[in-house]
Amino acid sequence: MSVRDLTLEDIAFWEVGKRLGYFGSILAIVFVSMFPVLWILISSLKPSGELFVFPIEYLPYTISFDGGISVVQQYPLTLENYRTALAQRPVGQYLLNSFIVASGTAILDLVLGALAGYSLSRLQFRYKLPVLLLILFTALLPFISRLIPLYSLAIQLNGTAVSGFLGLNTYLGLILPYAAFQLPFAVWIFQAYFKELPDSLEEAGLMDGLSRIGVLFRIILPVSMPAMATAAIIVFIYAWNEFLFALTFMTQDSKRTITVGIALFGNQFSTPWGTITAAVFLSLIPLLLFMFFFQQKIVEGMTSGVGKA
Amino acid sequence: MADSTANVQDTIARPGKEGLRARFRRYRELRLTEEELATVLLTPVLLFLLGLSFYPILDTVWASLHTGYVIELPGQQREFVGLENYRQVLFPIGETRFWNAFGVSLFYTFVSVPVELVFGLGLALLLQKEFKYKYVAQAAILFPWALPTVINAKVWAWMLHPDYGVISDILVRLGILAQPFPFLSKPDIALYTMTGITIWKTTSFMALILLAGLSSIPDQLYEAARIDGASRWRQFRDITLPLLKPTLLVALIFRTLPAFQAFGLPFGLTGGGPGEATSTLVLYAQQAAYNNPGPTNGGFAIGSAAATLITLLALVIALIYVTTLYEPEVR
Repeated sequence: MSVRDLTLEDIAFWEVGKRLGYFGSILAIVFVSMFPVLWILISSLKPSGELFVFPIEYLPYTISFDGGISVVQQYPLTLENYRTALAQRPVGQYLLNSFIVASGTAILDLVLGALAGYSLSRLQFRYKLPVLLLILFTALLPFISRLIPLYSLAIQLNGTAVSGFLGLNTYLGLILPYAAFQLPFAVWIFQAYFKELPDSLEEAGLMDGLSRIGVLFRIILPVSMPAMATAAIIVFIYAWNEFLFALTFMTQDSKRTITVGIALFGNQFSTPWGTITAAVFLSLIPLLLFMFFFQQKIVEGMTSGVGKA
Repeated sequence: MADSTANVQDTIARPGKEGLRARFRRYRELRLTEEELATVLLTPVLLFLLGLSFYPILDTVWASLHTGYVIELPGQQREFVGLENYRQVLFPIGETRFWNAFGVSLFYTFVSVPVELVFGLGLALLLQKEFKYKYVAQAAILFPWALPTVINAKVWAWMLHPDYGVISDILVRLGILAQPFPFLSKPDIALYTMTGITIWKTTSFMALILLAGLSSIPDQLYEAARIDGASRWRQFRDITLPLLKPTLLVALIFRTLPAFQAFGLPFGLTGGGPGEATSTLVLYAQQAAYNNPGPTNGGFAIGSAAATLITLLALVIALIYVTTLYEPEVR
């Protein structure tokens, strides 16, 4: 059939099919992405006996066609798992710890990243390229190769005057290494963004009698909110998700972050899946909110910054 | 007006031409040359990285050449042992844990990254289009990337439970399986399963980076190609792919190095098992360092040697990527 033989209906049909295919595939991908979350939620609301049946009963209610249509309850929904999880482990404290560590890391990296990014994009000086490469090079170094020395350093701080806020089981003990590991990304995002700003912006400030530092704080930084948001979100997500250092540095239960808290749920003899699914779902709530509020910023930030490498 | 011009002059002024007193006055008034300002702004950053990135690496190398004490108690001096720790990692008697982990990490990395790249590119092409409620779809699709690795491991460990896993259930209902399948406890299957999970998790991140690259390709190029009668496939091959190359480099490095350092996923999913079937290099190094108590804490020396080897391998991978894919500023 050549193009000429196509009737208007054929074309309309083709267009509808294309749209259906497109949105169908988008929906399928969304479903595949979110199914685990849905499954964790369903599992966490099941009474403990219901978890271990096969074939699985998916929904609490089902429609039965035996003798007319009726709704049949398959299992009762319960918050029992949530009660057990919260009674057994300080899940709220884990989340708070993660929040403090992740925010602290993000703030530190914003400050250091903006200073370095400004110098490396808008100032002229010797060794500019070597300094940029040196900073970016640290992003290539594996985390495991920094773990053991920092761990023994933290142990040596134990019992000294600073052990209250630095070393094992302290927030700064995680914030400082995290910030160092993510700093190259923050520097990269800032320098890429600053480089695109027009020179006239800075010249105007200098003409008006501001010093270079004044220009940075009064003019450059206020127009750099997109770069700040991107850097903050990426660093925050990294720090929130980190596991290797959190596992090693936080040995007290009350100081553990959410990743370590969840990973160490249960013991070697049994895995209490009901309580684990409840704890996992609790840990996902802030993340779900975060994603729905900030995904636009993440995509925009990536599109304008990192991608233009 | 004259004053502000002088100000600009000062800011740009190079040191050397001015006297010491004038220079101090300038410092007091916080008017620095660009070079001085760069020094002031960069020094804290570089000190920070020196202390928390470069010093630990060097210390790891140093520790890998000595006997391992975490804390030197009186009478316990670290002794130089040359490459003995490396010998114990690479050629221990009666076991091949390092080489097994090396194989696992290589498979895991170099199977998952190319697959993610292909899927991620497809997803990025899909997401280029604008539609209503796209933000909801985008948030949902990006969610697996933001999910903490070790929590993701627990989620999948439950979904792939050998007796009551939902994945088994779905496959049984579809008639693909006859009974629940132990995806994580069969030694020859577990690594494939783990690789599949990471593909599920990070494809969206790949898509995100590639989306950035796609959006920087000017539309006029496609228009010109269309006018010249180029097919969709020709447009993709001759415009999209070549212009996407710099982004591909970024995406490959950003995914390969973390995949090569996988730790949370095997830790939470299988603990490296069954046997050693899913033990990655970093899991091996961590276990070598921390699961080897004993009077000398010998594990820290062995762990340091393993960590040093991992560093070298990571740098080799990065070097290969940069030399094969980097093109200095094509545009």
